[in-house]
Amino acid sequence: MTSTALLHVSGVSKTFARTGKPSVEALRDINIAINEGEFVSIVGASGSGKSTLLRIIDGLIAPNAGGVLVDGVNVTRPGPDRAMVFQQDSLLPWKTVLENVAYGLTLAKKPWPEAARVAGRFIAMTGLTGFESHYPHQLSGGMRQRVNVARALAVDPRILLLDEPFAALDAQTREIMQTELLSIWRESRKTILLITHQIDEAVFLSDRVIVFSARPGSVRQEVRIDLPRPRQLELKRTPEFSGLVDRIWKLIEEEVRSSLNESR
Amino acid sequence: MRKIVDFLEQENRLASSVRVLVSIACVLVVWQLLSLVVTNRLLLVPPADVAAVLVKEVNNGAMWSNAVATVGAVVSSFIVSCVIGVAVGLALASSRLLSLTGGPVLSALNSVPIIALAPLFVAWLGLGFASKFVLVLLVAVFPVVVTTEAGLRAADKPLIEAARSFNATRWQIFTTVTFPYALPFIVSGVRVAWARALVGIVVAEFFGSFAGFGFAIMSASQTFDTARVLGYVFVLGAMGLIGSVLFASLERRLAPWRQE
Repeated sequence: MTSTALLHVSGVSKTFARTGKPSVEALRDINIAINEGEFVSIVGASGSGKSTLLRIIDGLIAPNAGGVLVDGVNVTRPGPDRAMVFQQDSLLPWKTVLENVAYGLTLAKKPWPEAARVAGRFIAMTGLTGFESHYPHQLSGGMRQRVNVARALAVDPRILLLDEPFAALDAQTREIMQTELLSIWRESRKTILLITHQIDEAVFLSDRVIVFSARPGSVRQEVRIDLPRPRQLELKRTPEFSGLVDRIWKLIEEEVRSSLNESR
Repeated sequence: MRKIVDFLEQENRLASSVRVLVSIACVLVVWQLLSLVVTNRLLLVPPADVAAVLVKEVNNGAMWSNAVATVGAVVSSFIVSCVIGVAVGLALASSRLLSLTGGPVLSALNSVPIIALAPLFVAWLGLGFASKFVLVLLVAVFPVVVTTEAGLRAADKPLIEAARSFNATRWQIFTTVTFPYALPFIVSGVRVAWARALVGIVVAEFFGSFAGFGFAIMSASQTFDTARVLGYVFVLGAMGLIGSVLFASLERRLAPWRQE
Protein backbone atom coordinates (compact mmCIF):
# COMPACT_ATOMS: atom_id res chain seq x y z
CA MET A 1 0.00 0.00 0.00
CA THR A 2 1.53 3.28 -1.06
CA SER A 3 1.31 6.34 1.11
CA THR A 4 0.54 8.50 -1.93
CA ALA A 5 -2.86 6.86 -2.44
CA LEU A 6 -5.84 9.26 -2.61
CA LEU A 7 -8.22 6.81 -0.97
CA HIS A 8 -7.22 4.51 1.85
CA VAL A 9 -9.59 1.92 3.27
CA SER A 10 -7.86 0.31 6.22
CA GLY A 11 -9.16 -2.50 8.40
CA VAL A 12 -12.83 -1.70 7.75
CA SER A 13 -15.31 -4.13 9.32
CA LYS A 14 -19.05 -3.79 9.58
CA THR A 15 -21.63 -5.89 11.36
CA PHE A 16 -25.32 -5.08 11.20
CA ALA A 17 -27.29 -5.74 14.38
CA ARG A 18 -30.86 -6.87 13.70
CA THR A 19 -33.60 -6.91 16.31
CA GLY A 20 -34.77 -10.43 17.07
CA LYS A 21 -32.42 -12.01 14.54
CA PRO A 22 -28.74 -12.90 14.55
CA SER A 23 -26.52 -10.01 13.47
CA VAL A 24 -24.97 -10.06 10.00
CA GLU A 25 -21.28 -9.60 9.43
CA ALA A 26 -21.20 -7.65 6.16
CA LEU A 27 -17.51 -6.75 5.88
CA ARG A 28 -14.37 -8.10 7.53
CA ASP A 29 -11.02 -6.30 7.59
CA ILE A 30 -11.13 -4.56 4.21
CA ASN A 31 -7.88 -2.94 3.04
CA ILE A 32 -7.87 -1.05 -0.25
CA ALA A 33 -5.74 1.79 -1.61
CA ILE A 34 -6.66 3.72 -4.74
CA ASN A 35 -4.38 6.25 -6.43
CA GLU A 36 -5.42 9.57 -7.88
CA GLY A 37 -6.88 9.15 -11.37
CA GLU A 38 -7.28 5.40 -11.09
CA PHE A 39 -10.35 3.47 -12.21
CA VAL A 40 -10.98 0.58 -9.82
CA SER A 41 -13.90 -1.83 -9.70
CA ILE A 42 -15.14 -4.16 -7.01
CA VAL A 43 -16.93 -7.32 -8.12
CA GLY A 44 -18.40 -10.06 -5.98
CA ALA A 45 -21.39 -12.31 -5.48
CA SER A 46 -24.50 -10.77 -3.98
CA GLY A 47 -24.14 -10.51 -0.23
CA SER A 48 -20.47 -9.65 -0.42
CA GLY A 49 -21.10 -6.28 1.21
CA LYS A 50 -19.70 -4.26 -1.69
CA SER A 51 -22.57 -1.76 -1.55
CA THR A 52 -22.06 -1.38 2.19
CA LEU A 53 -18.38 -0.63 1.63
CA LEU A 54 -19.25 2.08 -0.90
CA ARG A 55 -21.62 3.69 1.62
CA ILE A 56 -18.92 3.59 4.29
CA ILE A 57 -16.49 5.30 1.91
CA ASP A 58 -19.14 7.92 1.08
CA GLY A 59 -19.72 8.48 4.81
CA LEU A 60 -23.36 7.40 4.82
CA ILE A 61 -22.64 4.49 7.18
CA ALA A 62 -20.03 4.30 9.93
CA PRO A 63 -17.82 1.17 10.13
CA ASN A 64 -17.52 -0.82 13.36
CA ALA A 65 -13.76 -0.98 13.01
CA GLY A 66 -11.13 0.55 10.79
CA GLY A 67 -11.42 3.76 8.84
CA VAL A 68 -11.39 5.53 5.49
CA LEU A 69 -8.88 8.23 4.59
CA VAL A 70 -9.34 10.55 1.65
CA ASP A 71 -6.14 12.46 0.96
CA GLY A 72 -5.08 11.71 4.52
CA VAL A 73 -8.29 13.00 6.10
CA ASN A 74 -10.53 10.62 8.05
CA VAL A 75 -14.05 10.22 6.62
CA THR A 76 -16.83 10.69 9.17
CA ARG A 77 -19.65 11.94 6.95
CA PRO A 78 -20.42 12.68 3.28
CA GLY A 79 -18.25 15.44 1.91
CA PRO A 80 -17.59 17.42 -1.26
CA ASP A 81 -14.48 15.33 -2.07
CA ARG A 82 -16.69 12.28 -2.80
CA ALA A 83 -19.87 11.92 -4.84
CA MET A 84 -22.05 8.89 -5.34
CA VAL A 85 -23.92 7.70 -8.42
CA PHE A 86 -26.82 5.50 -7.35
CA GLN A 87 -28.41 2.56 -9.14
CA GLN A 88 -31.53 4.37 -10.30
CA ASP A 89 -34.51 6.46 -9.30
CA SER A 90 -32.58 8.69 -6.99
CA LEU A 91 -33.46 11.74 -9.10
CA LEU A 92 -36.03 14.16 -7.72
CA PRO A 93 -39.14 13.56 -9.89
CA TRP A 94 -40.46 17.13 -9.42
CA LYS A 95 -37.24 18.76 -10.61
CA THR A 96 -36.07 19.20 -14.19
CA VAL A 97 -32.84 17.70 -15.53
CA LEU A 98 -31.07 21.03 -15.01
CA GLU A 99 -32.33 21.35 -11.42
CA ASN A 100 -31.43 17.73 -10.68
CA VAL A 101 -27.88 18.12 -11.99
CA ALA A 102 -27.52 21.33 -9.97
CA TYR A 103 -29.00 19.68 -6.84
CA GLY A 104 -25.71 19.07 -5.02
CA LEU A 105 -24.62 22.63 -5.77
CA THR A 106 -27.83 24.18 -4.46
CA LEU A 107 -27.53 22.09 -1.29
CA ALA A 108 -24.04 23.56 -0.91
CA LYS A 109 -25.75 27.00 -1.17
CA LYS A 110 -24.17 28.00 -4.49
CA PRO A 111 -26.12 30.89 -6.03
CA TRP A 112 -28.47 29.67 -8.75
CA PRO A 113 -26.84 31.35 -11.80
CA GLU A 114 -23.50 29.76 -10.95
CA ALA A 115 -25.07 26.39 -10.12
CA ALA A 116 -26.98 26.42 -13.41
CA ARG A 117 -23.84 27.33 -15.36
CA VAL A 118 -21.81 24.51 -13.80
CA ALA A 119 -24.70 22.06 -14.26
CA GLY A 120 -24.96 23.11 -17.90
CA ARG A 121 -21.31 22.15 -18.45
CA PHE A 122 -21.88 18.60 -17.14
CA ILE A 123 -25.17 18.30 -19.00
CA ALA A 124 -23.16 18.89 -22.16
CA MET A 125 -20.44 16.44 -21.09
CA THR A 126 -22.98 13.66 -20.50
CA GLY A 127 -24.81 14.26 -23.77
CA LEU A 128 -27.98 15.68 -22.22
CA THR A 129 -28.00 18.98 -24.11
CA GLY A 130 -31.54 19.80 -25.20
CA PHE A 131 -33.12 17.93 -22.29
CA GLU A 132 -32.46 20.55 -19.59
CA SER A 133 -36.12 21.25 -18.91
CA HIS A 134 -37.34 17.65 -19.14
CA TYR A 135 -38.48 15.82 -16.04
CA PRO A 136 -36.97 12.42 -15.11
CA HIS A 137 -40.19 10.53 -15.93
CA GLN A 138 -39.93 11.83 -19.49
CA LEU A 139 -36.48 10.23 -19.97
CA SER A 140 -35.34 6.69 -20.75
CA GLY A 141 -33.42 4.67 -18.14
CA GLY A 142 -30.11 5.40 -19.85
CA MET A 143 -30.78 9.13 -19.96
CA ARG A 144 -31.72 9.13 -16.28
CA GLN A 145 -28.41 7.50 -15.42
CA ARG A 146 -26.58 10.20 -17.40
CA VAL A 147 -28.36 12.78 -15.22
CA ASN A 148 -27.26 10.81 -12.18
CA VAL A 149 -23.62 10.85 -13.35
CA ALA A 150 -23.80 14.54 -14.27
CA ARG A 151 -25.24 15.39 -10.84
CA ALA A 152 -22.33 13.65 -9.12
CA LEU A 153 -19.72 15.28 -11.38
CA ALA A 154 -21.22 18.76 -10.91
CA VAL A 155 -20.08 19.02 -7.29
CA ASP A 156 -16.51 18.48 -8.56
CA PRO A 157 -15.57 15.56 -6.30
CA ARG A 158 -12.11 14.00 -6.31
CA ILE A 159 -13.57 10.52 -6.10
CA LEU A 160 -16.62 9.27 -7.94
CA LEU A 161 -18.36 6.31 -6.29
CA LEU A 162 -20.65 4.31 -8.59
CA ASP A 163 -23.08 1.79 -7.13
CA GLU A 164 -24.03 -0.61 -9.94
CA PRO A 165 -24.97 2.40 -12.05
CA PHE A 166 -25.96 0.44 -15.15
CA ALA A 167 -27.56 -2.61 -13.52
CA ALA A 168 -31.12 -1.57 -14.41
CA LEU A 169 -30.33 -0.84 -18.08
CA ASP A 170 -30.75 -3.19 -21.02
CA ALA A 171 -27.60 -4.82 -22.42
CA GLN A 172 -27.15 -2.53 -25.43
CA THR A 173 -27.68 0.69 -23.48
CA ARG A 174 -25.30 -0.59 -20.82
CA GLU A 175 -22.49 -1.10 -23.35
CA ILE A 176 -22.92 2.41 -24.71
CA MET A 177 -22.99 3.87 -21.22
CA GLN A 178 -19.75 2.02 -20.42
CA THR A 179 -17.89 3.67 -23.28
CA GLU A 180 -19.41 7.02 -22.35
CA LEU A 181 -18.23 6.57 -18.78
CA LEU A 182 -14.71 5.92 -20.04
CA SER A 183 -14.68 9.12 -22.07
CA ILE A 184 -16.10 11.09 -19.13
CA TRP A 185 -13.37 9.62 -16.94
CA ARG A 186 -10.69 10.62 -19.49
CA GLU A 187 -12.11 14.11 -19.81
CA SER A 188 -12.72 14.82 -16.11
CA ARG A 189 -9.64 13.02 -14.74
CA LYS A 190 -11.58 11.78 -11.71
CA THR A 191 -10.70 8.85 -9.52
CA ILE A 192 -13.45 6.25 -9.91
CA LEU A 193 -14.51 3.38 -7.69
CA LEU A 194 -17.21 1.24 -9.31
CA ILE A 195 -19.29 -1.50 -7.74
CA THR A 196 -20.71 -4.00 -10.19
CA HIS A 197 -21.77 -7.60 -10.50
CA GLN A 198 -20.92 -7.62 -14.21
CA ILE A 199 -17.42 -9.00 -14.53
CA ASP A 200 -17.04 -7.92 -18.15
CA GLU A 201 -18.05 -4.39 -17.20
CA ALA A 202 -15.39 -4.29 -14.48
CA VAL A 203 -12.66 -5.66 -16.79
CA PHE A 204 -13.60 -3.35 -19.66
CA LEU A 205 -13.53 -0.18 -17.54
CA SER A 206 -10.90 -0.69 -14.86
CA ASP A 207 -7.20 -0.45 -14.18
CA ARG A 208 -7.69 -2.92 -11.34
CA VAL A 209 -10.51 -5.23 -10.34
CA ILE A 210 -10.89 -6.13 -6.69
CA VAL A 211 -12.66 -9.46 -6.25
CA PHE A 212 -14.74 -9.80 -3.10
CA SER A 213 -15.70 -13.01 -1.40
CA ALA A 214 -19.04 -13.20 0.37
CA ARG A 215 -20.33 -13.62 3.92
CA PRO A 216 -18.57 -11.77 5.34
CA GLY A 217 -17.33 -9.63 2.47
CA SER A 218 -13.57 -9.54 2.25
CA VAL A 219 -10.95 -8.89 -0.41
CA ARG A 220 -10.24 -12.15 -2.15
CA GLN A 221 -7.87 -11.04 -4.83
CA GLU A 222 -6.82 -8.04 -6.84
CA VAL A 223 -6.54 -8.43 -10.60
CA ARG A 224 -4.57 -5.87 -12.60
CA ILE A 225 -6.12 -5.13 -15.99
CA ASP A 226 -3.27 -4.27 -18.34
CA LEU A 227 -5.38 -3.88 -21.45
CA PRO A 228 -4.39 -0.91 -23.63
CA ARG A 229 -6.32 2.37 -23.49
CA PRO A 230 -8.32 4.04 -24.95
CA ARG A 231 -10.60 1.02 -25.02
CA GLN A 232 -13.34 0.40 -27.56
CA LEU A 233 -16.17 -2.13 -27.45
CA GLU A 234 -14.22 -4.42 -29.85
CA LEU A 235 -11.85 -5.09 -26.97
CA LYS A 236 -14.54 -7.30 -25.45
CA ARG A 237 -14.09 -9.80 -28.31
CA THR A 238 -10.33 -10.30 -27.82
CA PRO A 239 -8.94 -13.45 -26.16
CA GLU A 240 -7.02 -11.33 -23.60
CA PHE A 241 -10.30 -9.83 -22.43
CA SER A 242 -12.10 -13.18 -22.21
CA GLY A 243 -9.13 -14.62 -20.34
CA LEU A 244 -9.40 -11.97 -17.64
CA VAL A 245 -13.18 -12.35 -17.36
CA ASP A 246 -12.79 -16.14 -17.01
CA ARG A 247 -10.12 -15.77 -14.38
CA ILE A 248 -12.30 -13.50 -12.24
CA TRP A 249 -15.40 -15.62 -12.83
CA LYS A 250 -13.57 -18.69 -11.47
CA LEU A 251 -12.76 -16.73 -8.31
CA ILE A 252 -16.39 -16.08 -7.47
CA GLU A 253 -18.20 -18.90 -9.30
CA GLU A 254 -18.48 -21.14 -6.26
CA GLU A 255 -19.97 -18.37 -4.13
CA VAL A 256 -22.45 -17.33 -6.80
CA ARG A 257 -23.55 -20.97 -7.09
CA SER A 258 -23.96 -21.41 -3.37
CA SER A 259 -25.90 -18.16 -3.05
CA LEU A 260 -28.30 -19.49 -5.71
CA ASN A 261 -29.32 -22.35 -3.44
CA GLU A 262 -29.92 -20.16 -0.47
CA SER A 263 -33.07 -18.59 0.79
CA ARG A 264 -32.78 -14.91 1.55
CA MET B 1 -71.02 8.20 -34.69
CA ARG B 2 -67.50 6.75 -34.68
CA LYS B 3 -66.09 10.26 -35.08
CA ILE B 4 -68.06 11.57 -32.09
CA VAL B 5 -66.83 8.70 -29.89
CA ASP B 6 -63.23 9.31 -31.01
CA PHE B 7 -63.56 13.00 -30.18
CA LEU B 8 -65.05 12.32 -26.74
CA GLU B 9 -62.26 9.88 -25.85
CA GLN B 10 -59.56 12.51 -26.38
CA GLU B 11 -57.49 13.74 -23.47
CA ASN B 12 -57.92 17.48 -23.90
CA ARG B 13 -59.75 20.26 -22.15
CA LEU B 14 -62.45 20.69 -24.81
CA ALA B 15 -63.32 16.99 -24.94
CA SER B 16 -63.42 16.69 -21.17
CA SER B 17 -65.72 19.72 -20.80
CA VAL B 18 -68.01 18.29 -23.47
CA ARG B 19 -68.03 14.98 -21.55
CA VAL B 20 -69.06 16.78 -18.35
CA LEU B 21 -71.84 18.65 -20.18
CA VAL B 22 -73.10 15.42 -21.75
CA SER B 23 -73.27 13.65 -18.38
CA ILE B 24 -75.11 16.60 -16.80
CA ALA B 25 -77.57 16.56 -19.71
CA CYS B 26 -78.14 12.83 -19.19
CA VAL B 27 -78.93 13.37 -15.51
CA LEU B 28 -81.39 16.16 -16.39
CA VAL B 29 -83.12 14.02 -19.00
CA VAL B 30 -83.52 11.07 -16.60
CA TRP B 31 -84.75 13.45 -13.89
CA GLN B 32 -87.28 14.98 -16.28
CA LEU B 33 -88.53 11.54 -17.38
CA LEU B 34 -88.80 10.39 -13.75
CA SER B 35 -90.85 13.44 -12.83
CA LEU B 36 -93.27 12.58 -15.62
CA VAL B 37 -93.83 9.18 -13.99
CA VAL B 38 -93.79 10.36 -10.35
CA THR B 39 -96.46 13.02 -10.41
CA ASN B 40 -96.67 13.68 -6.67
CA ARG B 41 -94.89 17.05 -6.43
CA LEU B 42 -94.12 16.48 -2.74
CA LEU B 43 -91.84 13.63 -3.72
CA LEU B 44 -90.24 14.93 -6.88
CA VAL B 45 -90.29 18.14 -8.92
CA PRO B 46 -88.96 18.51 -12.48
CA PRO B 47 -85.62 20.29 -13.08
CA ALA B 48 -87.28 23.38 -14.55
CA ASP B 49 -89.18 24.04 -11.28
CA VAL B 50 -85.95 23.72 -9.28
CA ALA B 51 -84.25 26.19 -11.61
CA ALA B 52 -87.17 28.60 -11.21
CA VAL B 53 -86.93 28.40 -7.41
CA LEU B 54 -83.17 29.03 -7.56
CA VAL B 55 -83.75 32.15 -9.68
CA LYS B 56 -86.36 33.33 -7.20
CA GLU B 57 -84.04 32.74 -4.24
CA VAL B 58 -81.28 34.72 -5.92
CA ASN B 59 -83.65 37.59 -6.75
CA ASN B 60 -85.19 37.91 -3.28
CA GLY B 61 -81.76 37.84 -1.62
CA ALA B 62 -82.28 34.64 0.39
CA MET B 63 -79.59 32.87 -1.60
CA TRP B 64 -76.99 35.48 -0.67
CA SER B 65 -77.74 35.62 3.02
CA ASN B 66 -77.64 31.81 3.20
CA ALA B 67 -74.45 31.70 1.13
CA VAL B 68 -72.72 34.23 3.39
CA ALA B 69 -73.56 32.14 6.46
CA THR B 70 -72.62 28.77 4.98
CA VAL B 71 -69.62 29.68 2.84
CA GLY B 72 -68.17 31.93 5.53
CA ALA B 73 -68.32 29.20 8.16
CA VAL B 74 -67.27 26.27 5.96
CA VAL B 75 -64.38 28.02 4.21
CA SER B 76 -62.88 29.53 7.36
CA SER B 77 -63.21 26.26 9.26
CA PHE B 78 -61.87 24.26 6.30
CA ILE B 79 -58.76 26.45 6.03
CA VAL B 80 -58.12 26.18 9.76
CA SER B 81 -58.56 22.40 9.65
CA CYS B 82 -56.05 22.12 6.78
CA VAL B 83 -53.49 24.16 8.73
CA ILE B 84 -54.03 22.21 11.94
CA GLY B 85 -54.14 18.91 10.04
CA VAL B 86 -50.80 19.54 8.35
CA ALA B 87 -49.25 20.70 11.64
CA VAL B 88 -50.44 17.62 13.53
CA GLY B 89 -49.36 15.36 10.65
CA LEU B 90 -45.90 16.95 10.70
CA ALA B 91 -45.63 16.41 14.44
CA LEU B 92 -46.70 12.78 14.15
CA ALA B 93 -44.30 12.09 11.29
CA SER B 94 -41.36 13.69 13.04
CA SER B 95 -41.71 11.78 16.29
CA ARG B 96 -42.06 8.03 16.45
CA LEU B 97 -43.08 8.17 20.10
CA LEU B 98 -45.79 10.75 19.42
CA SER B 99 -47.08 8.70 16.51
CA LEU B 100 -47.17 5.50 18.56
CA THR B 101 -48.96 7.09 21.52
CA GLY B 102 -51.18 9.58 19.68
CA GLY B 103 -51.93 7.41 16.66
CA PRO B 104 -54.43 5.02 18.29
CA VAL B 105 -56.30 7.91 19.96
CA LEU B 106 -56.53 9.72 16.64
CA SER B 107 -57.77 6.70 14.73
CA ALA B 108 -60.32 6.01 17.47
CA LEU B 109 -61.56 9.60 17.21
CA ASN B 110 -61.55 9.29 13.44
CA SER B 111 -63.88 6.29 13.55
CA VAL B 112 -66.37 8.00 15.90
CA PRO B 113 -69.14 9.52 13.77
CA ILE B 114 -68.50 13.06 14.99
CA ILE B 115 -71.53 14.24 13.01
CA ALA B 116 -73.65 12.48 15.65
CA LEU B 117 -72.32 14.91 18.25
CA ALA B 118 -73.81 17.90 16.41
CA PRO B 119 -76.67 18.41 18.93
CA LEU B 120 -74.10 18.43 21.76
CA PHE B 121 -71.98 21.09 20.06
CA VAL B 122 -75.05 23.24 19.62
CA ALA B 123 -75.79 22.85 23.33
CA TRP B 124 -72.23 23.80 24.23
CA LEU B 125 -71.55 26.58 21.76
CA GLY B 126 -75.00 27.88 20.93
CA LEU B 127 -76.71 28.47 17.63
CA GLY B 128 -74.63 30.06 14.91
CA PHE B 129 -71.05 30.35 13.76
CA ALA B 130 -69.15 28.78 16.67
CA SER B 131 -70.89 25.41 16.69
CA LYS B 132 -70.68 25.11 12.88
CA PHE B 133 -67.00 26.06 12.91
CA VAL B 134 -66.07 23.45 15.49
CA LEU B 135 -68.11 20.63 13.96
CA VAL B 136 -66.65 21.22 10.49
CA LEU B 137 -63.17 21.43 11.96
CA LEU B 138 -63.54 18.11 13.72
CA VAL B 139 -64.82 16.23 10.68
CA ALA B 140 -62.39 17.82 8.19
CA VAL B 141 -59.14 17.71 10.14
CA PHE B 142 -58.61 13.93 10.26
CA PRO B 143 -58.10 13.16 6.57
CA VAL B 144 -55.47 15.91 6.42
CA VAL B 145 -53.67 14.58 9.52
CA VAL B 146 -53.63 11.02 8.19
CA THR B 147 -52.46 11.84 4.66
CA THR B 148 -49.85 14.33 5.86
CA GLU B 149 -48.27 11.77 8.15
CA ALA B 150 -48.49 9.01 5.56
CA GLY B 151 -47.05 11.25 2.83
CA LEU B 152 -44.13 12.37 4.95
CA ARG B 153 -43.35 8.79 5.91
CA ALA B 154 -43.67 7.55 2.33
CA ALA B 155 -40.72 9.58 1.03
CA ASP B 156 -38.48 7.40 -1.07
CA LYS B 157 -35.46 6.03 0.82
CA PRO B 158 -33.12 6.31 -2.23
CA LEU B 159 -34.02 10.01 -2.59
CA ILE B 160 -33.19 10.67 1.05
CA GLU B 161 -29.95 8.71 0.74
CA ALA B 162 -28.95 10.73 -2.32
CA ALA B 163 -29.63 13.98 -0.46
CA ARG B 164 -27.57 12.77 2.49
CA SER B 165 -24.77 11.78 0.16
CA PHE B 166 -24.66 15.43 -1.00
CA ASN B 167 -24.24 16.40 2.64
CA ALA B 168 -27.77 17.80 3.00
CA THR B 169 -28.80 18.95 6.46
CA ARG B 170 -31.95 17.53 8.07
CA TRP B 171 -33.79 20.74 7.21
CA GLN B 172 -32.60 20.55 3.58
CA ILE B 173 -33.76 16.92 3.36
CA PHE B 174 -37.16 18.03 4.62
CA THR B 175 -37.54 20.97 2.24
CA THR B 176 -36.07 19.34 -0.88
CA VAL B 177 -37.20 15.71 -0.51
CA THR B 178 -39.67 14.78 2.21
CA PHE B 179 -42.08 17.70 1.96
CA PRO B 180 -42.33 17.93 -1.86
CA TYR B 181 -42.84 14.16 -1.89
CA ALA B 182 -45.67 14.45 0.66
CA LEU B 183 -47.39 17.41 -1.00
CA PRO B 184 -49.61 15.47 -3.45
CA PHE B 185 -50.62 13.13 -0.58
CA ILE B 186 -51.59 16.15 1.52
CA VAL B 187 -53.66 17.63 -1.29
CA SER B 188 -55.57 14.37 -1.68
CA GLY B 189 -56.34 14.55 2.06
CA VAL B 190 -57.47 18.14 1.60
CA ARG B 191 -59.81 17.02 -1.18
CA VAL B 192 -61.46 14.47 1.12
CA ALA B 193 -61.57 17.09 3.89
CA TRP B 194 -63.52 19.48 1.66
CA ALA B 195 -66.18 16.86 0.92
CA ARG B 196 -66.45 16.07 4.62
CA ALA B 197 -66.59 19.75 5.55
CA LEU B 198 -69.66 20.20 3.34
CA VAL B 199 -71.45 17.33 5.07
CA GLY B 200 -70.41 18.79 8.42
CA ILE B 201 -71.72 22.27 7.68
CA VAL B 202 -75.12 21.01 6.47
CA VAL B 203 -75.64 18.84 9.53
CA ALA B 204 -74.50 21.66 11.84
CA GLU B 205 -76.99 23.97 10.18
CA PHE B 206 -79.79 21.42 10.45
CA PHE B 207 -79.42 21.44 14.21
CA GLY B 208 -78.38 24.88 15.17
CA SER B 209 -78.66 27.96 13.02
CA PHE B 210 -80.97 30.56 11.57
CA ALA B 211 -79.17 30.96 8.26
CA GLY B 212 -77.27 28.90 5.72
CA PHE B 213 -77.98 26.28 3.11
CA GLY B 214 -78.58 23.58 5.72
CA PHE B 215 -81.07 25.80 7.55
CA ALA B 216 -82.81 26.62 4.25
CA ILE B 217 -83.09 22.92 3.35
CA MET B 218 -84.49 22.12 6.82
CA SER B 219 -87.09 24.88 6.76
CA ALA B 220 -88.11 24.12 3.16
CA SER B 221 -88.62 20.46 3.96
CA GLN B 222 -90.76 21.36 6.96
CA THR B 223 -93.07 23.31 4.63
CA PHE B 224 -92.96 20.49 2.02
CA ASP B 225 -91.28 22.83 -0.47
CA THR B 226 -89.45 20.06 -2.36
CA ALA B 227 -88.28 22.36 -5.15
CA ARG B 228 -86.46 24.59 -2.67
CA VAL B 229 -84.90 21.55 -0.93
CA LEU B 230 -83.56 20.24 -4.24
CA GLY B 231 -82.41 23.71 -5.28
CA TYR B 232 -80.16 24.12 -2.26
CA VAL B 233 -78.92 20.52 -2.52
CA PHE B 234 -77.95 21.37 -6.09
CA VAL B 235 -75.95 24.41 -4.89
CA LEU B 236 -74.15 22.30 -2.29
CA GLY B 237 -73.41 19.66 -4.93
CA ALA B 238 -71.88 22.34 -7.14
CA MET B 239 -69.65 23.50 -4.28
CA GLY B 240 -68.49 19.94 -3.70
CA LEU B 241 -67.80 19.37 -7.37
CA ILE B 242 -65.84 22.59 -7.80
CA GLY B 243 -63.65 21.78 -4.79
CA SER B 244 -63.05 18.24 -5.94
CA VAL B 245 -62.08 19.27 -9.48
CA LEU B 246 -59.84 22.03 -8.17
CA PHE B 247 -57.92 19.84 -5.73
CA ALA B 248 -57.68 16.95 -8.18
CA SER B 249 -56.06 19.21 -10.76
CA LEU B 250 -53.72 20.63 -8.11
CA GLU B 251 -52.74 17.07 -7.22
CA ARG B 252 -51.95 16.28 -10.86
CA ARG B 253 -49.95 19.48 -11.23
CA LEU B 254 -47.86 18.68 -8.13
CA ALA B 255 -47.12 15.11 -9.16
CA PRO B 256 -47.13 14.82 -12.96
CA TRP B 257 -44.79 11.81 -12.78
CA ARG B 258 -47.49 9.72 -11.09
CA GLN B 259 -49.77 9.71 -14.12
CA GLU B 260 -47.73 7.33 -16.24
